[in-house]
Amino acid sequence: MKDRLTSLVTGLPADYADLRYEENRKIRITYQGRELTQISSTTGGGGHVRAYAGGGKAIASFSDPDAATSTARRTCASARIVGRMRECPLRLADAPAIVERFSLSPKRDPRSIPLSEKLELLAHYNRILLEEPRVITTQSEYDEFASSRMFINSEGTMIEYELLNVGVYGMIVAKKGDVVQRVRFAYGGNDDFSRLVGREDELRDEVARACELLDAKPARSGICPVVLDPSEAGVFIHEAFGHLSEADGLQNNPSFRERLSVGTTVGRSLLNVADDPTIPGYPGSYEIDDEGVRGRRTELIHAGVLVGRLHSRETAAEFGEPLSGNMRAVDAVFTPIVRMSNISIEPGTSTFDEMVGSIDNGYYLVGAKGGQTAGDQFTFGAQWGFCIRSGRIGPMVRDINMSGELFSTLRNISMIGDDMEFGERGGCGKGSPMQLNRKSGKGAPHIKIDAVTIGGV
Amino acid sequence: MHALIEEARARVDGAELHWHRRRSTTVNYQNYQLQGVSEEELSSVALRVIDHGRTGTAFGIFPDGACLLYDAVAAAAHGDPATFAFAGPARYPAVENGDPATADLDSAVLVERCESIVRRVRNELPAIALRAHAEAETDHRVIETTSGAAGENCTSGLSIAFGAPFKGVGVGVYKSARSTSPFWVDDSLIEEFVEWYRWGDVTSTPSTGRLPILLAPDAAYLLLLPLLFGLSGNAVRKGTSPLIDRVEERILSEALTIVDNPLRAGDPESRPFDDEGVPCARRVLVKNGLLKGFILDLESAAALDQPPTGNGLKRALFGSGTELPPTPWFVNPEVEPGATPWRQMLTTLDEGLLITGGMGFHSGNYPQGHFAVQAIGFHVRSGRVVGRLDQTMISGNIYHDLLRVRAVSAERRPCAAGLLSGGLAPFILIDSMQVTGR
Repeated sequence: MKDRLTSLVTGLPADYADLRYEENRKIRITYQGRELTQISSTTGGGGHVRAYAGGGKAIASFSDPDAATSTARRTCASARIVGRMRECPLRLADAPAIVERFSLSPKRDPRSIPLSEKLELLAHYNRILLEEPRVITTQSEYDEFASSRMFINSEGTMIEYELLNVGVYGMIVAKKGDVVQRVRFAYGGNDDFSRLVGREDELRDEVARACELLDAKPARSGICPVVLDPSEAGVFIHEAFGHLSEADGLQNNPSFRERLSVGTTVGRSLLNVADDPTIPGYPGSYEIDDEGVRGRRTELIHAGVLVGRLHSRETAAEFGEPLSGNMRAVDAVFTPIVRMSNISIEPGTSTFDEMVGSIDNGYYLVGAKGGQTAGDQFTFGAQWGFCIRSGRIGPMVRDINMSGELFSTLRNISMIGDDMEFGERGGCGKGSPMQLNRKSGKGAPHIKIDAVTIGGV
Repeated sequence: MHALIEEARARVDGAELHWHRRRSTTVNYQNYQLQGVSEEELSSVALRVIDHGRTGTAFGIFPDGACLLYDAVAAAAHGDPATFAFAGPARYPAVENGDPATADLDSAVLVERCESIVRRVRNELPAIALRAHAEAETDHRVIETTSGAAGENCTSGLSIAFGAPFKGVGVGVYKSARSTSPFWVDDSLIEEFVEWYRWGDVTSTPSTGRLPILLAPDAAYLLLLPLLFGLSGNAVRKGTSPLIDRVEERILSEALTIVDNPLRAGDPESRPFDDEGVPCARRVLVKNGLLKGFILDLESAAALDQPPTGNGLKRALFGSGTELPPTPWFVNPEVEPGATPWRQMLTTLDEGLLITGGMGFHSGNYPQGHFAVQAIGFHVRSGRVVGRLDQTMISGNIYHDLLRVRAVSAERRPCAAGLLSGGLAPFILIDSMQVTGR
C-alpha cells in the first residue's frame, strides 16, 4: 500500500500533492441512566488527497482505496480549473521533507485492554452517579479513538504516525420539582488508560454540585466583573482569542486581518498566551501535524502584544510568517484545517483571594460548558457560579452564559492567578462541514475580567 | 450488503443494516475569489444486532463484512437486554426528493452559480469579503432488517449559501437556498442580503430590559431545538422533558403550529423512512400552541408503549453520521405561516430586535427550554432598523416567552442556518424577551 500510494502521489500532474491514508478504530460505550444504550466498535479506512496546480487547490475524500488513483487525478484537474480563475495564485511555504515513523508509547495502552474492562469501569462510574436519588439520569460515555496514518507528499515526505485518545465523559442530570440541572465531567483526554481509573471521589463531588445547583438561583443579567476558574478561563482563551490566532480564519477577511497584525497591543502587559503541542500528556499533544509539519510551541501574545499565529503551509506563505505545525483533520473524511493544539494563558502573580477581594458586585464562574465564537464576538457558558458581594464569595447561581467582544475583553483582563490547570476535556468544533476535534487542549490560571455581559433572568 | 444481513440472520436473533453512500462536489469562494473545489465519495455501514437478547453495534467505513458482524456480536455479548424489535416490513410513502439533473452537476456548473452571485453582489458591495458556497450532493441509503424491513432511497440536493462578515468583525449576514433540483439564486435574495448588510454599517446597542423580538427564520433553531429536546421520546422516558404529561396543554402561543413534514416535495432532507426503517409521515406536534404528541424512535416507542413515529435518525446536536445511534429527531420541522408580511411586523415595533442568529446556544440549559445567547441581528426603533446589534444578549425560556406571540409572518424560509439541517419557518414576533445591552 505504502509503495503504491507513494508512486501515485509522486506521479500526479500537480505542482504539489499529498495524500493521507488512515486506518481508524473507535470504541464507544454509552450509558443513559441505567441503560447501556451503545456499545460499538468502528473500523475502517479512508483517504484524503490535496492537489495544488496552476495556483489553484482542490481536495477529495474517498473511502474505497481502489478509488485513490482516479480521485487523485480528478483532483489535480480541478485544482487547475481553480487556478485559472484566481487573481492571486495559492502558494505553500517551504517545509522540510520528513521520512520518519512516529509511534506512541502510552503508560497503559487502551488498545490492549479488553472491552469488558472498559465496560466495567464505565458501569462502575455510572452506578456511583445513580446512587444519588436526585440524579434522574446520566450520560456516561467511554470514547476511544485510535488512528494509524500515513502521509505522503510529492516533495519526498513519507511519514507514518499514530493518534490515540481515550476518555470518560459524561453528564449528570439532577431534578427537583421543575428545576433540572446538568453537570458535565471529563477524565482522560490523552493516550493513557490509567488516567481514567480511581476518579470516584471526583465523581461524587460532581454529583454533589449538580444537587446543589437545584437550590441555586438563576444568574441575573447585566454587565459586571467576573473571576473565571481555570476551566472557564481556558475555554475563554480558546474561544475568544485562540480561534482568531488560526490564520485560515483571517486569510480571506482583510479588515479583520489588519486588526490582528503582529505587533498589535491586544491586552495588558500581564497577559501571555501560547500554543504548544509538544507538552506531553495533554489533549492537544502531538509530534507532527496532518500536513507533515512538526508541531512546535508558538507564542501568540507576549506581554499583551500579539507576536505569533497558527498556520498551515498555505497561510504561512500568504502571511509571510513561520510554520507552526497546526494543520489537523479529525479523520479521513475531512481536509486538514488550522487548529489550536494546547492553548494556555501563562500564570501571573495574583492569588484567588486577591481577585475575589477586588470585586464589590460580580460573579465567580466555574466549569466550562462549551462556547462559540464568530470573529471578535464570543459566548460561553459556566457549569455553575457564585455571586461575589463586597469581596466575598456568596450564594451559588445557575444557568449562566457570558458574552463579549474579544478586544475589549482582553484589555479588561486585569488580574491573572498564580495557579495553573489544564483541562482533561478536549474538544473543539470548527469548519464546514464541522470537525469535532477531541484533541484540543486548554489551560489557564484563575483570571479576573473587569466587565463581561451576563445573560440571565 | 444483502449477503451480510443473510449471514447475520443465520448467526444472531436479529439484525439491522444501515448503508449510506454520499457523493458531493463543492465549490467555495472566499473574499470574491474561488478558493477551492472539494469532492467526497464516502460509503459507510452500521450493523446493529440482537444476540441472545442483547444489543450490540458495529460501524465501518468501507468495512469488511465479516469483521463488522464479528464486532457487533462481540459488543452484544456485553450489551443490555434488548427492549425493542427491529422494524418489520412496511409500505413506504413516495417522496419527491431526488432529481437526476442535480446528481450530474459538476464543479464547472457550481462555479457558474457562485459567479452569478459574486457578480451581482460585487456591483453593490465591492469592498466586502464575500463568501459563497455551492454544493451538489446525492445521498443513497439502504436499510434492511432480519424482520423484513427493506428500504432504499436516493436523494439529491443543491445548496447555495453566501454572505459576508461585517467589516472588521466576525458576525455578518448570510443567506442560503436549497432544492432537490438545479436552480439559480433569485435576485430578491441578493437584494435582501445587500439591504441587510447595509443595515450593519453602524452598530446599536439596546438598553437592558424586556423588548419585543422579531425572530427571523435563520434563527428559528432557538425555538425548534429546545422544542426538539422537549418532544424527544428519549427525554420523556428518562423524565428530563419539561413536556411530560402535558399533551393537549398549551405550551406555546396559540399563534404557533409546528409539524414535522418528512414528505415535503422538493426538499433534499425529505425521506420515506427513518434510519431504523420505520415509515415517515407528516405529524402535527404543536397545534395552535397545544402539545399534540412526541417524536419516537424504536427504543423510546417501546419504552413508552407507543408506535414509533419514523423519527429515529442518526443525528446529534452537531451533525449526523452512520456511526451515531438512532435517536428521536425532527426530519423536516415546519412552523406554519401566519398572515402578516414580515416587513409590516417590523414597522409595528417602537423598539425591538430583529434576531437572525444567536451565539452560544449549546452552552445553555436548552433541553429545559432555556436559552441565553449573544444576539446576532439588528436594533429596531420607530419601525426602522437603526443598526446591527453589538454586545447584546437575549435570554429566557421558550415555554414562557413564546406563550405570547403577536404575529407570525406570511412568508416562510428554510431555517437551514445554525444547528438544524432542514425545516421551514416564518418570522415570529414575540411579545417580549429579556435583553441585556447597555
